[in-house]
This record gives sequence, structure tokens and C-alpha cells, in this order.
Amino acid sequence: MNKFSSRVRSALSGLLVPSISIALTLIVASVIVLLLGKNPIEVFLGFLRGSGLVFKPRYAGGQGILTDFFSYLSILTPMIFASLGVMMGMRAGLFNIGVAGQMLLPGFLASVLIGYSDLPSYLAWPIIIIIGLVAGGAMGALIGFLKHRFNIHEVVTSIMLNYIISYVTAFFINTYYADPVTRNSRPVSEASRLLIPGQAGGARFDLPVGLVVALLVIFVMRFLLDRTTVGFRINAVGLNKDCARYAGINVGNNVVLAMAMSGMLAGLAGVTYYLGFANNMVPKELVSLGYDSIAVAVLGNVAPVGCLFASILVTIFQKGSVYMSSNVGVPKDIASVIIGILLMFSASGLYIEETLQRLRRRSRSKQDAKTDPDKAEEERA
Amino acid sequence: MTETIVELRNITKRFPGIVANDDVTLDIRKGEIFALLGENGAGKSTLMSILFGMYEPDEGQIFVRGEEVRLTSSKDAAALNIGMVHQHFKLVSNYTITENIVLGDEPLKRLGPLSWVDLKGASKKIRALSLEYGLEVNPDDKIEDLQVSTQQRVEILKMLYRDAEILIFDEPTSVLTPQEIEYLLEIMEELRRGGKTIILITHKLEEIKRVADRCAILLHGKLVGVYDVATTTTQRMANLMVGKELDTTLDKTEHDFGEVVLDVSDLTVYNEQKVKVVDNVSLRVRQGEILAIAGVSGNGQVDIADAIAGLQHISAGSISLKGEEISRLSIKDRIARGISYIPEDRQKDGLVMDLTLRDNLAIKTFDREPFSKKGVLQPEAFEQQATDLIKRYDIRSGQGSQTTTRSMSGGNQQKAIIAREVELDSDLLIFVQPTRGLDVGAIANIHQQILEQRDKGKAILLVSLELDEVLALADTICVAFRGQILKTDSAKNLSKEEVGQYMMGVTQ
Ligand SMILES: Nc1ncnc2c1ncn2[C@@H]1O[C@H](COP(=O)(O)OP(=O)(O)OP(=O)(O)O)[C@@H](O)[C@H]1O
Ligand SMILES: [Mg+2]
Repeated sequence: MNKFSSRVRSALSGLLVPSISIALTLIVASVIVLLLGKNPIEVFLGFLRGSGLVFKPRYAGGQGILTDFFSYLSILTPMIFASLGVMMGMRAGLFNIGVAGQMLLPGFLASVLIGYSDLPSYLAWPIIIIIGLVAGGAMGALIGFLKHRFNIHEVVTSIMLNYIISYVTAFFINTYYADPVTRNSRPVSEASRLLIPGQAGGARFDLPVGLVVALLVIFVMRFLLDRTTVGFRINAVGLNKDCARYAGINVGNNVVLAMAMSGMLAGLAGVTYYLGFANNMVPKELVSLGYDSIAVAVLGNVAPVGCLFASILVTIFQKGSVYMSSNVGVPKDIASVIIGILLMFSASGLYIEETLQRLRRRSRSKQDAKTDPDKAEEERA
Repeated sequence: MTETIVELRNITKRFPGIVANDDVTLDIRKGEIFALLGENGAGKSTLMSILFGMYEPDEGQIFVRGEEVRLTSSKDAAALNIGMVHQHFKLVSNYTITENIVLGDEPLKRLGPLSWVDLKGASKKIRALSLEYGLEVNPDDKIEDLQVSTQQRVEILKMLYRDAEILIFDEPTSVLTPQEIEYLLEIMEELRRGGKTIILITHKLEEIKRVADRCAILLHGKLVGVYDVATTTTQRMANLMVGKELDTTLDKTEHDFGEVVLDVSDLTVYNEQKVKVVDNVSLRVRQGEILAIAGVSGNGQVDIADAIAGLQHISAGSISLKGEEISRLSIKDRIARGISYIPEDRQKDGLVMDLTLRDNLAIKTFDREPFSKKGVLQPEAFEQQATDLIKRYDIRSGQGSQTTTRSMSGGNQQKAIIAREVELDSDLLIFVQPTRGLDVGAIANIHQQILEQRDKGKAILLVSLELDEVLALADTICVAFRGQILKTDSAKNLSKEEVGQYMMGVTQ
């Protein structure tokens, strides 16, 4: 067996288990839909249509599949950032459950400072991104610092910070920035939104600028974690703190660093969400995307590229649920149910792998041992 | 008496890149102590895990009491009255002894539709069992407050509580002190008298000689043979085990020592519970000298080592390395100044079990050239070092440098740590229990390496519970007792009996 083919083989088997998890999820989801008396195919098509991946039968004036598709991409973007944020924490053995809060504060600051100004896009965008990085990073660093210095668990701090941020921002929104009609914050200026408007075939759409940044960040993260000393330290701390310390790695610094990076990514999720998708803020509301991103990071096997694919998949259910629900008549909460099932099956990845191996062994032991070339090769190695 | 209770027929088990058990056929008789001997990685733990239902064999059959069985989980094994004490214990540390023992098989008391766990009754039964076999424990103690040897007793009681008839012990003595070992062996004999069948995995030939009836020897996954212990010498067992004539004689030459490398004076250390564990200790190690700290486990030896390496805070005293005070330096700086450290607990401190062997071998040097350049890792350098060390230190594993450390056998994990630490080329090497869990061949090899380092002029601090090891290697012996050094003298001037007495705190 040469090196290349074995690498291809291991990549394929790496895909096999997630594919099985997804297939099982679709089967279970179909059963639930059937029990509700609806057609599963219609439901899945509904999700895809709502996400602009399959043509809808009809479009309103000025809209088209591209409108939906780019709208899908603009909610995909914060999902990618948020899941990368959760992933970053997990790599260092930390559970950052406060992504939603770490999205809100940077989103709020960027809206207030830039979104309500009349800066042109070329100035507004970079500043917004920097606000996202700085405000999110600061929150993350604070959580990491409290953990390192006073041994306060990150879950406790991040949940409490979530409350603080959501009430404090709500106070300011209600007092200074509320839209008199909706009672939400006023929408941010067109120029500050991280979107490039476009038009094709009679449909208007908005290209999310953040997506380019997100794709870039994925590869930066991958490189950082797999190929740099910074990543090596964080991985070691996440996998075994005691050994990391023994080996001369400063555990505390790396906890703070990892949480800061996690917060920075959450901050990017925040600005791309609040100034690129929602474009305003609902007082006291923490977006559910911040929590869903935990499931996405797990589904993505706590790896950068995995997070990308998991985000793509989960966002289809999230984004498509509204259209699906109004057209097929299944409540849109089914999306959360499906994501829950998906998470459950992907968390059972090891079990699936074990079962596959057992099946393989059984079928192999039925064959005559001597005629199995694979085995002879293993023995020689 | 010669009734066969377990029969393994043609068992084969493969892991990626390795055949852990290769066509092994064994029969174990009811009421005997059956020893399993083999080098590190020979496949002993794997074979017994198969009998305990934790792995399914790729080929072969298992018969228990004459009937063919298929074991798919440890539950199946328990149903056949098979119990196992693993190399690394499996206990819940914040549960009491009773809770741990009943876990998974809780006795229920019922009142109508209500039911609850009858801990009182269980506790009573445990007390009775512990009296019957001399396994002294207090069922209401929490695991985290117990010593290792007591935890082991809990594991044994757990088996007995479940009415195990076939008891598997995987290297039970590697974590015990000599006194505790003696006691455990007596318990095993007691169990045998009670009609239990015992399978004992151990690297210590004297133990086999002392209690076992028969001994199976594995080599590279294959069965070499089953031998009658009474008629086989330990030397012959050792030779069979490594597949060649084993030479364990050490050639230690006398030489003069060089300059002082490590100078510890008036060191005092308190542990996390604010207990004074090191009490005003002073010691010096010179170039080319092996200084061994002997002592019964828990007398502060490990804390001295930890303090020197920077893993424990010191509250008084000074530590100097080659004339430089290092007690305020970070762990990293101490490593850079020239300290290598083989820690006591290899799985907790010595290795990141979920990283590859290759990464573990570089875990102290990854941020130096050539392993990284400007913060970017250089996988080729990792690979080159790993290939080299695997070969030179005979580290055996399924997938070479890419093996996940967790899947390696205990002894080979230890070899990896030693390879890494010796390779740092530090002026001071601290070895804590360096040969724990290693086979006789590997022990001889490591002793040889320690002497080589000595002859190269390194200063060596050895902490060992094995008196024989201390006597074989040390130039100077310190005896630790209750955190103090009771006696320091040249090894030539001390007899085994004298050291043993100091270890018990006797001072003439
Ligand atoms: N889960 C696993 N996955 C892959 N390889 C494994 C696994 N368990 C064991 N091995 C490999 O199988 C071989 C036999 O391992 P085993 O643990 O049975 O050895 P052992 O005889 O108990 O050694 P030791 O005395 O060091 O404990 C080793 O080479 C080990 O690397
Ligand atoms: Mg073993």
C-alpha cells in the first residue's frame, strides 16, 4: 500500500462517518415529518428553496433564486465565525458558551459608532471588522483571565457576561437608539453594512463581504492550529494541562490567548450578523445562532474546515425553515429538532465507527483468511 | 484440580500496523494462579482485555467452563464471573468505596412503586468480604482520599462483590511499594485457597516464582509456551521472554566526580493541602554522579524532584544549577538551563495521550530550531527525530511515529519519555521511578542508559522505590523519611539492610 492511496483512503473513511450521521438524521427527520402527516421530500425541498439552492416555483418582483442564495450566504457568514469561535475554545479545553454575548457587544459597538455615522463603506468596513476583533477579543480575554487567575469556570463567567451585555445594551438601545415604531434599534446605514448590492436577471441581491473574510480565516485558523507553535501549545493545553505545564508551556497564558481568539472570532460573527444580516438589534435578545454554533463546532469535528461544512449544512435548515414552514406547513421549529438529531448522531461518531469495524470484521472472518490479500499485506507491514 | 476453566483457542487480534495477539492458544485451570509474562507490547493486556470482553478477537474462540462464549462487553464477562483489575484503575474519585463497588449493579430496595439503592446493605456485604480476604478498607471513605494500594483493594473487592471466580490482575504490583506487594501476593494466595482462579500479568519474575503455578510467555504476540513455575528458573523465563540470552549485568566503573551541578539547600515545600512534605532538605549532585533518593513511597522524594523541576512552589531554601539560582525561574527556563525530568506519572504528566508519538517526542523542543522556524512547525524535523529515537530506544508501536500514544503499551510509553528526556542532553537528569512497568529486558536497557549518561558526565538524581535499583545504580544514597533526609552516604558504605532500616525511620 503506498502512501498516497492510504491517505486517500483515510480521507474517505473520515468522510464516511459524518455521511452516515447525516443520512441517519435525514431518515429520522423523515419519520417525524411522516408522523406529522407531511411529505418529507417536500419539507427538504422547502429548506433548499428557502436557502436559494433550489428554484422556488414563484418569486416576488425584484427577487430571484440569487436573492435567496445570497441571503443564505449572509447568515452563513456569522455562523462560520461563531462555530470557529467555539472550536477555538474547545481546542484549548474551554467551553465558550457565551458566543452570543460576544457577538452582541461588538455588534452593538459597531452599530453605534459606525452604523449610525455617515462614513463611506471603504472606511466603515475595516473599522467595523477591527471593532469586532477588539471588542470580542477583549471579552474572551477577560473570561480566560478570570479562569486563569481566579479559577472561575468559563461557563459561569460567559453566561453571566451574556446577561450583563444583553441588559446593558438593551438599556442603551431603549434610551438612545430605539426605532419609535419597532422598538428595536434603528437600522444601520446602508454604507456600513458588510454587503455589496448587486443585480442580475431582474433579481436584487446583496453579496456578503464577510464571507470572503470567513473563508480566509478558516485557512488561517487551520494553518495556525496545525502548523504553528502557537497551535501546538494550545492543542497540548487542551488535551492535557498537566503535561503541557510539565513540558514548560505556560498554561495560563495559553488559556487567555485561546479565549481571546475565540472571542475575536465571535466578535467577527457579531459584526457580520448585526451589520450584514439583521442590520438592527432587538433589545435583550441574544441570537440563537450563538448557541447553535456549539452544535456546529461539534458536528464539524472541532476543526476549521469541518466547521465550514457543518455551517453550510446547518444553515440550510435554519435559513430555509421560514419558507418551508409557510409553504409546506410544518412548524419551523422542526429545524431545531433536525439540528438536535444531527448533533446526537454526530456525537455518536465513535459508536458508528466501532459498529462499522465490527461489521467489517464479521464479514471478513466469514471469508477464508488465506484468500484475503488485505490481511496478508498488513502482516507484512 | 486440573479442571480447565478458561480456554483460548487460536486467538488473533490485529491493530493497525501490528498483530497484538497471533494465534494464541491457552488453557487455564480452575484454582490456579496463572502468570502471563512478556516484553512491553507483547500483547498481554490485549489478550486479557479480550477475555474480559473489551475487545473482540479477529479470529479464534473462547471457552469458559467448557462452553464456547462470545464476549462483546465487560458485562458479558461479568456474567461469566470474570473480573479484571486494569493497569490503570477505573474508579470515580468523588464517590465512596461502596458507591464505586455497586456502580452499574446497584442493589435495589423496593417499597411499592418506589425503589432506591440499598447502600447500607451493600456496605455491610463489602465489610464482610473485606474481612474474609483481609482486604482492609472503610466502605464509606471517598476514593480521592485513598492511597493507591487501597484503591487497588477497592478494585479487588469490586470483583469479589460481583462474585468473580476468574480474577485478572494487569500489572497490579507496578504501583505498589515492596511491603504492599508482599501483602497483595498473600491476598492472592488467600483467594486461591478460596477456590478462585487468578491470572496475573507482571514483569517481576520473583513474584511469579513466589505465587504462580504456571506461566505463559508471549513474544511479539505469539505464545512461546506455558511453563511450570516450580521447575523453571527466572533466568530461563527471562531468556524465553526476550527470545535470546538476556544479559542483565551492569558494568559500572568507578570514576571521580566533577563539579557540582545541582545544589539544593534547606529546601522546604508545602503541598496543596498545606502539609509540609519536604522539610529542610539539602543535597548536591556532581557531574558523573548518580544520587539516589531511597525511601518508602510518600516520604517527600517526588516533591523534591517536582520542586527542582519547577512543578511545585518552594517555601524556603534554594536550588542552584551550575551555580545559578533557579528556584524563581519558570519551568521552561529551567528546561532550557539543562534539566531533564522523567516524571512519576507518565500518563498524567509525561505524555499527551491523544497526540502522536512524534509530537510527544518533541513536546519540549517544538519551539526550537529545527522543529520550528519563526513559529512555523517543521514536520520533517519532527519525523526525522521520531524515526531516529524509535530506532535507537526500541520504542514499539503499531504505526511508528504516527501512533497515538494512548494506543501504545504502558512500557513503550515509558520508553518514549526516557528517549525524549535523555535526548535533551541536559546536565541534570531527574529520573523518578524510571523502570516502573517495564520488562526485564527494557529495565536492563534503561539502567545501561542511565549509566551511560553518568559516564558522559551528567549529574543524575534518581528517585526509586525499588531498593535493588537504587543499590545497583547509585553512587550516593540519600534516604528520605517524612520529608527529611535521614542519611546521606556513599553507596559503598551502605548495606541493603542499613538502607532498609533508615527507610523505616530507624536511626542508630
Ligand atoms: N487500542 C489499540 N489500538 C492500537 N494498537 C493497540 C491498542 N492496544 C494495544 N495496541 C498495540 O498492541 C500491542 C500490544 O499491546 P498490549 O497493551 O497488549 O501490550 P502489553 O503486553 O500489555 O505491554 P505492557 O507490558 O507494556 O503493558 C502494542 O504494540 C500496542 O501498541
Ligand atoms: Mg499491558
